[in-house]
Amino acid sequence: MRGNSTVLAALNKILTRKLTTINQFFLHARMHKNWGFEQLNNKVYKASIDEMKHADKIIERILLLDGLPNLQELGKLYIGEEPGEMLKLDDKLQTEDINHIRQAIAVCESEHDFVSRKMLAEILEQQEEHQDWLDTQCSLIDTIGLENYLQQQL
Amino acid sequence: MSQVVNTLNGLLAWELTSIDQYTAHSEQYADWGFNKLYERISHEADDERGHAKLLIERILYLEGKPDMESRHALPNADNVPEMLSADLDLERKNATALKAAIELCEQHKDFVTRDMLVGILKDTEEDHAYWLRQQLGLINRLGLERYLQAMM
Ligand SMILES: [Fe+2]
Ligand SMILES: [Fe+2]
Repeated sequence: MRGNSTVLAALNKILTRKLTTINQFFLHARMHKNWGFEQLNNKVYKASIDEMKHADKIIERILLLDGLPNLQELGKLYIGEEPGEMLKLDDKLQTEDINHIRQAIAVCESEHDFVSRKMLAEILEQQEEHQDWLDTQCSLIDTIGLENYLQQQL
Repeated sequence: MSQVVNTLNGLLAWELTSIDQYTAHSEQYADWGFNKLYERISHEADDERGHAKLLIERILYLEGKPDMESRHALPNADNVPEMLSADLDLERKNATALKAAIELCEQHKDFVTRDMLVGILKDTEEDHAYWLRQQLGLINRLGLERYLQAMM
């Protein structure tokens, strides 16, 4: 099935973002683990795996549309130096991802690629869930203080 | 072979010291009410007993006599961060001794002893010393009181 080139470009752009997010979350998870914050490690590691599953879906969709999935590109990683900063940077990346997915959904809608649109909408839902979690963590750090927050993440 | 046996006896002194130190520290933690530290450190003492057992078995197999008396000096530590630092110091010295012993086994082509010692070194580096280093890092990040509260 020949895909629309505008849609393919939009899907590849989301793929690049996914590959970037996988790497950032994966490194951050293991940094949390290295410092002894097991709870943060578990949560962020799982988020990285979820991103990988999203990337997989997008790759398969691009191939089905006779496009070339681009796995060469990687965006800029925002790597923090301490747990609070790392969560804020993950939140920033996740928020940008969500904006880009929304734009890609709009492209699919206007090009009448409703199946790609549905796939992206499902990805968006999981993104929003993780962003909600990240927002909650940042807000907890503000409310109870970083040290008290971290104490709960061992 | 006797040079290997002597070296193994030197290592045995480190393991026996570790058993003593971890047993003393874990009971102290229990007495202070830090049950999580008690659990971790008393489990560490069990690991050290496992190491000592391996060394004793190997010394006997090599027809040597295990030296059950020698010990290294125990530290003067009377609060949690000092005790954790002293434990880390012990693990590091133990690791240094293990590396020297591994080299000696290599020279003597005693590959089975060498292999056993690498296993003990892996526990020492990746389990004991790494965990202790994490705890000292957590004390820095959380502050001592919050860390201790989490160890109850
Ligand atoms: Fe040991
Ligand atoms: Fe040890």
